Amino acid sequence: MKHDAYQQSGFLTRFNLRRDWLVILIWALILGGLMAAVAFKFNDLYGSRSSIAAIVTTLKMPAMVSMFGTFVARAPYTTADIFASEMMVFMALFMAVMNIYFAVRNTRGEESNGMLELIRSHAVGKQSPLLAATLELFLINVLMGLCYFGGLQVSGMHGMSTMGNLLIGIGLAAIGFMFGSAALLMAQVSDNPRGATMLSYLFLGVTYLVRMLTDVQNPDFTWWSPFGWIEKLSIYHKNNWLPVFLMLGLTIVLLLLTFYASRHRDVGAGLLATRGGRKRASVFLTGPFSLVMRLDRLSLIVWVIGLVVLGISYGSIFGTVGDIMKTNPLMGKLMGATAVDAANRLVVLKFAALLMVVFAVLVTVPSVQTLLRINGDERKGWLEQIHAKAISRGHIFGSYVAVSLLIGTLSMFAAVFGLWLANNSVMTNPLSFERLFRGFIGYLPAIYVTLGISALIIGWLPRLQTIIWAIPVYGLISLYFGNLLNLPNWAEKLTPYGWINQVPVSNVNWTQFGLLMALSIILIVIGFLGYQRRDLIEN
Amino acid sequence: MADTILSVKHLQKKFGKFAALKDVTFDVHSGEVFGFIGPNGAGKSTTIRTLLGILRASGGSATIFGKDVWKDSVRIHEHLAYVPGDVYLWPNLTGGEIIDLFLKLNHQRHTSRTNDLIKQFELDPGKKARTYSKGNRQKVALIAAFSTDADLYIFDEPTSGLDPLNEEIFQKNVLALKLQGKSILLSSHILSEVERMCDRIGIIREGQIIETGTLTEMRHLTRTLITVQTRQALPDLSATQDVHNFKRSDNTPNKASFSVDSDKMDKVMQTLASLEIIGLQSTPPTLEDLFLRYYQKGKQGDGENEA
Repeated sequence: MKHDAYQQSGFLTRFNLRRDWLVILIWALILGGLMAAVAFKFNDLYGSRSSIAAIVTTLKMPAMVSMFGTFVARAPYTTADIFASEMMVFMALFMAVMNIYFAVRNTRGEESNGMLELIRSHAVGKQSPLLAATLELFLINVLMGLCYFGGLQVSGMHGMSTMGNLLIGIGLAAIGFMFGSAALLMAQVSDNPRGATMLSYLFLGVTYLVRMLTDVQNPDFTWWSPFGWIEKLSIYHKNNWLPVFLMLGLTIVLLLLTFYASRHRDVGAGLLATRGGRKRASVFLTGPFSLVMRLDRLSLIVWVIGLVVLGISYGSIFGTVGDIMKTNPLMGKLMGATAVDAANRLVVLKFAALLMVVFAVLVTVPSVQTLLRINGDERKGWLEQIHAKAISRGHIFGSYVAVSLLIGTLSMFAAVFGLWLANNSVMTNPLSFERLFRGFIGYLPAIYVTLGISALIIGWLPRLQTIIWAIPVYGLISLYFGNLLNLPNWAEKLTPYGWINQVPVSNVNWTQFGLLMALSIILIVIGFLGYQRRDLIEN
Repeated sequence: MADTILSVKHLQKKFGKFAALKDVTFDVHSGEVFGFIGPNGAGKSTTIRTLLGILRASGGSATIFGKDVWKDSVRIHEHLAYVPGDVYLWPNLTGGEIIDLFLKLNHQRHTSRTNDLIKQFELDPGKKARTYSKGNRQKVALIAAFSTDADLYIFDEPTSGLDPLNEEIFQKNVLALKLQGKSILLSSHILSEVERMCDRIGIIREGQIIETGTLTEMRHLTRTLITVQTRQALPDLSATQDVHNFKRSDNTPNKASFSVDSDKMDKVMQTLASLEIIGLQSTPPTLEDLFLRYYQKGKQGDGENEA
């Protein structure tokens, strides 16, 4: 009886792998390649004692701790220590993102597009599709772990050990699988893929923020965040395996809950049922713009709140970040009180400037998502009847673009506002709103130009539109790691985010602001011309 | 002749190298119901999407109300209502919200007629579209279309998900529109539906219109099935030029059934009359016979054989 429920799971797993092999390969190449490339470069970057000493001072600053995690290595430091403390948090984040993507797509996604129903009508067990998705996820993580381990083994980085490399591979695979299992559970809870993805990111977001706040205040508390476990591996030192077991333990609990929930629900249903709604449209729902607003309303609210929270979280560590006396008492004594104050301010401003890039890249996500819906909604057939109405293509295109710009602007403002709010309460001499507002104004053109490029691709190369994501992903990697990896200047300037000067440290460059705004308008118009003269994408 | 509402001339559409439409030519006149039939993949939906300006024609011309379907699509759509074959709706909006939105997009209002249609089709407008079945999604689109005051209605296989009761309601509403003098383009697989409602029919196969005309005209082009019994000995007619599938009854003497080309009926009847007819049954070809005949001529059609 028991085994009936899981019949053909192996076959379905092989089928899934055959279906997904290309996507899996791309993820493995990008993430594995990133890890290996950084490891190869590290001997050049941090091979000498002096360069290591310099970077250790930087990594011990609270601002860096909030980004990369606590620096736990003990002297004498090796190149590998620097590597481990710079890479783990970041790679774990990517692993979580990848796992959420695969987990939701292969369970709730298949269920909502009707594939699951077809598969379930064949001689397969009730739980087989879910088990197959779980097994596939497990195998993907094993593959990723092997890529990391293999890449590190051949990198020849100074100070690394086989045990440490193995722990990196297994640790990242375990944390990835843990967040994937959480997403599998969320796919049972919510009855639609978007909801499942949102809940999964909520879990990731909360654990990430807890990790950041505890790292800056008191690293012992980081044990309370499942995301924080990745920092507790103490790679190349104690090589602590306990966090791996914690991750596996939590994974098992999550999976048991997932399979329990799956056994107790119907196909197509979630634990959170879709409620009914209005019998008549509200007076506000009148045309394409209000339609797109209505469709993305939840996404807008979630992002704005999420970014205010993120802004507040980062703003709340401004006090610690801007306390040079604490991190470098000697330097503090050498300078006068006013000089210390000025230096503190500069540190905070520089930290804020780095945060602005992070915010701008994050904000790009919901706005590009809205823009991509022009083709996505089309493919789903939702727009077919709109096109049969007295609505021009310009009206439809314009509506998506407008909502996308609006989401970008509001979310960016929310992040900066949160930063300002928290900075007010933790700093003795807080940064003024005007000052932080420079960051908001400064990065708007970068967001808009990215949206312009997206509009261009949407209009002319609709089948290749996913390549748009390369812009924010590369932008984040190049600017986040740019200084630490000594990337050449041009490499940081490949994306619009790299064109912006150091706001809010410096003033907004208004000439550039105007030029970039004009550029984004031109890009959007060119994109529209393509959209207007081509076939719409139908199934 | 009545005004031409919709006119398609030598329409072509290529997707890369594949020619989905090779040569589509037909007209829809004012106040008529035009049936558009053809097997899956013949180009029905591609034609309709081109007519709606969703796809851009590669050649030929198409006009609705005398305006170009690509350039003037917005002005055409002011007076047009459309129901696609596969209705997909925004999962997080309710049926009621979507109906109202569709009406507003054509500057129309939710009237008592809308409420009446919701009641007729028995739709629960307060449910999210995500929870609707295919049939219910189709009802949403149908209610919005029927309560729109338009001059041309385009239905692309509108009843494929409806139960017989709702199909009946659909047909009733189409006939009501026809009485009001509206023009209708109805693409369908359900040939009985087309037979009952359509004034003229166009048959499309592999991107080409192979026949247009009224059902009566088409019947002339095909064979009528005859079952006859005579008093005198019935000779074997299978050798006669216009008689096909001649088959004698096994248990009754001088009884046989065969089919005859409709325009050659006269000659065959004269022959039979001289043999003293006792019983005669003549069955005109159904649309299904026509349909099958056209498709089997070329290659095997993959159309669903719905009766």
